[in-house]
Amino acid sequence: MTPSESTQGPNRQQPERVYLHAMPVRIWHWANALGFLVLIATGFQIRYVDLFSLMSFETAVHVHNWAGFAVIANWFLWFFYYISSDKITNYHADLDAGNFFKRYFHQIEYYSQGIFKGEKKPHDVNPHDKFNPMQKLTYQFVMFITAPITFFTGLMMWDVARFQGLINAVGGIRVVNTVHVLMFILFVFFILLHAYMGMLGPKPSSHYKEMFTGWEEPHD
Amino acid sequence: MKTGSTFCALLLAIALLGMAPAVSMADHHEEVSNPDLKCLKCHSKNLKKKLEDGEKMSLRIEVEEFETSVHRVIGCTGCHRDVAKGKHPSKQPIASRRAYSLKHNQTCSQCHEAVHDAYKGSVHASMVEHGDVSAPICSDCHSAHAIQPRTVYEPVNGEPCSSCHTDINEAFAQSVHGLARSEGNLLRGDHVKAPSCADCHNAHDISAVTDTQYLVPTCINCHEVAELAHEQWLPNAAMHLKSVGCAACHSPQAELRVDLQLYDRLKQAPVRQNENNGTVQETLAAIDTNGDGLDPIELWKLIRQINDQEPDIDVTLLGRLEVTNSVDAHRLAASTEAVRSCENCHRSDAEPFQNVTVSMSRKDGRKESFKADRRVLNSAMSVDSVGGFYAPGGTRIKLLDWLLVLALLGGLAVPIGHIALGKALRKKQETDKK
Repeated sequence: MTPSESTQGPNRQQPERVYLHAMPVRIWHWANALGFLVLIATGFQIRYVDLFSLMSFETAVHVHNWAGFAVIANWFLWFFYYISSDKITNYHADLDAGNFFKRYFHQIEYYSQGIFKGEKKPHDVNPHDKFNPMQKLTYQFVMFITAPITFFTGLMMWDVARFQGLINAVGGIRVVNTVHVLMFILFVFFILLHAYMGMLGPKPSSHYKEMFTGWEEPHD
Repeated sequence: MKTGSTFCALLLAIALLGMAPAVSMADHHEEVSNPDLKCLKCHSKNLKKKLEDGEKMSLRIEVEEFETSVHRVIGCTGCHRDVAKGKHPSKQPIASRRAYSLKHNQTCSQCHEAVHDAYKGSVHASMVEHGDVSAPICSDCHSAHAIQPRTVYEPVNGEPCSSCHTDINEAFAQSVHGLARSEGNLLRGDHVKAPSCADCHNAHDISAVTDTQYLVPTCINCHEVAELAHEQWLPNAAMHLKSVGCAACHSPQAELRVDLQLYDRLKQAPVRQNENNGTVQETLAAIDTNGDGLDPIELWKLIRQINDQEPDIDVTLLGRLEVTNSVDAHRLAASTEAVRSCENCHRSDAEPFQNVTVSMSRKDGRKESFKADRRVLNSAMSVDSVGGFYAPGGTRIKLLDWLLVLALLGGLAVPIGHIALGKALRKKQETDKK
C-alpha cells in the first residue's frame, strides 16, 4: 500500500496535529519565497526600466543575478533533502492516472463548492503524502519543469559569452530570453494563486502558520 | 597629331637643355644622381602629355621634392623601367591619369611585394577592383615622386588619410587620442602613445570596418585592462564588448542606432552582396515594397529569401549597437566622460532603439545600411529573424507584455472570482434555508 492509498477516502480520520513540514523544507520554502519575490521585483525592474524606478537598472541586474544563484542553490537544498529522505513520496507520480485525475477533479469540485458548504476536504494529509492532487501536479510542474528551465535560461543570460555555444544550439539569445520571460509570467501567475490558496485553510492564516511551525492544526 | 607636336616640342626642349652646361643643374641638385639629371633636363620643365580621355597630364617633376624622396637612390629608371638609352615611351598612348597610376601600382609591387600583398587584401584594393575611381592606390597616399620615409606618416594632421577622410580627421583631432598627439602624447600628465590612423586601421591591409569586429580587439590591444575594467561593473561585459561598439559609449555625443547585419553563420562572416545581384539598396528595396523601411514580416521574408536562394549560406541577423556615422566613431572622449548609465540603452524608448537599420556588405566589403521599422525588434517574429540580438528594454516583445498583463489579471481574477463564488453560494444557501 502506498502512503497515498493509506490516507485517502472519506472514512479516514484527520489526525489531531500532523507534523507536515520538516525544518529544512520550511527554510527552503521561505528562502524560495523570498528569492522568487526578489527575482520577480528585479525582473520587473529590468524588463520595464521605463515604467518602474524601484532601483537602478544596474543594481536590479546585480541583485537579480545573486538572487538567481541563491534560488538555484536553494533548489538543490530542496532536491537533496527530498531525494535523501523518505518524504520524496510527496513528489511521486501517481501511476494510476485514472484514479489520480478522478481525485484531481474531486479537489476542483471541493474548491468550487464543497469548501463553501463546509464539507470535509477530500485529501487527508500525512508527512508522506501532504499534497492534494492539484498541489501535487502543480508542484511537480513547478519544481521539475518550470524552475529548472528558468534556472538554465537565466544562467545563459547571466553570461551570454560563456554560454554562447549552448545559446546558439537552442536557437539564439532571443529564444532563451523569450522562454525565460514565459517562465517569469507563469511564476507571477503561480505566486498570486499560491498566496491565495494558502488562505484556504480552516482560517486564512492556518496554512501560513503551518509553514512556520511545521504542524498542521486539526481541521473542523 | 597633337601628340606628335608635343613630342616635337619635347625634343626641342631636350635639345635646348642639352646645350646648357650640365654642371649647373648638378650644382643646384647635387643629391640627384647623374643619370637622373638627363631625365630632369626635360622633366623639370612644364611638359604636358595629352591623354586619350582628353585630359592633359603634367610630366614635370618637382626636383626639390624628388631630392627629398626616399626613392632618390633608385633613380628614375628604378620605377620607369621602360625608359632606357634610345628608348622613351613618349609616343605610347596613355588612356587616363588613373590608368597610368594603376599601371605603376604594379611597379611598386616589384620592390614592395609584401606591402603590396597586404594592400591587395584591403578595402581600398577591393574598391579599386570594383571600379571605384576614388579608391586610393600607392601614389595617392605616397605621391608619385615625393615619397617620404615612414616616420613622416605619423603626423598629427592625419596625412595622407585626411586628404580623403577629412571629416573623420577633424573629429579625430578633437578626440582624446588626437588631443594627446597634438599635446606631445601627454594625457593627464602621463606620457602615452596615442594612436594615429594606421595604428588602428593598419597602413596597407586596411579592412572594411564591418569585417573587423568593429575594431574592438584593436582598442583592447592598447587598452589591455579594458575587459577587466568593464567586468568590474558591467554585467555581461564580454557580451557588451562584442555587441556594442566602443564608440557607442566612449563617444558620448554620438547618435546611435541598432544595426542588424546580415551574417552568415556557416562562414562566420558578414554576408556580402552576391556578384550576380544588384546593389544592396536594390536587393533590400525589392523586399520593402511600400518603401517605408523593412517591417517585421518583410525582414522575416528577407532572411527566408536569402537562405532559400543560396544553399551554401545560413543567414541570421547580428545586432549591434553602434554610432550612426564613422565621424562620430572617431570623436572618442576621455574614459571619465563615457556613458555609464545602463538606462541610456535599456529603456524601451531609448534613442538607439528608435533608429534601426539592416545592413549588408557591398561587393567591396564596405557596409551599406537600409532603414528598418523599429517594430522589427519588438515583434514576436523577431524571435526567429533577429534571434541573435537581445537587449532588455529595447527588444521587449509586446506579445509577452500582454501575456504578463493577462497573468496578473488572471492571478487577481481567480481569487476575486473564488471569493465572489463563495459569497454567492452562501447567499443561495441562506435563501434556500429560508
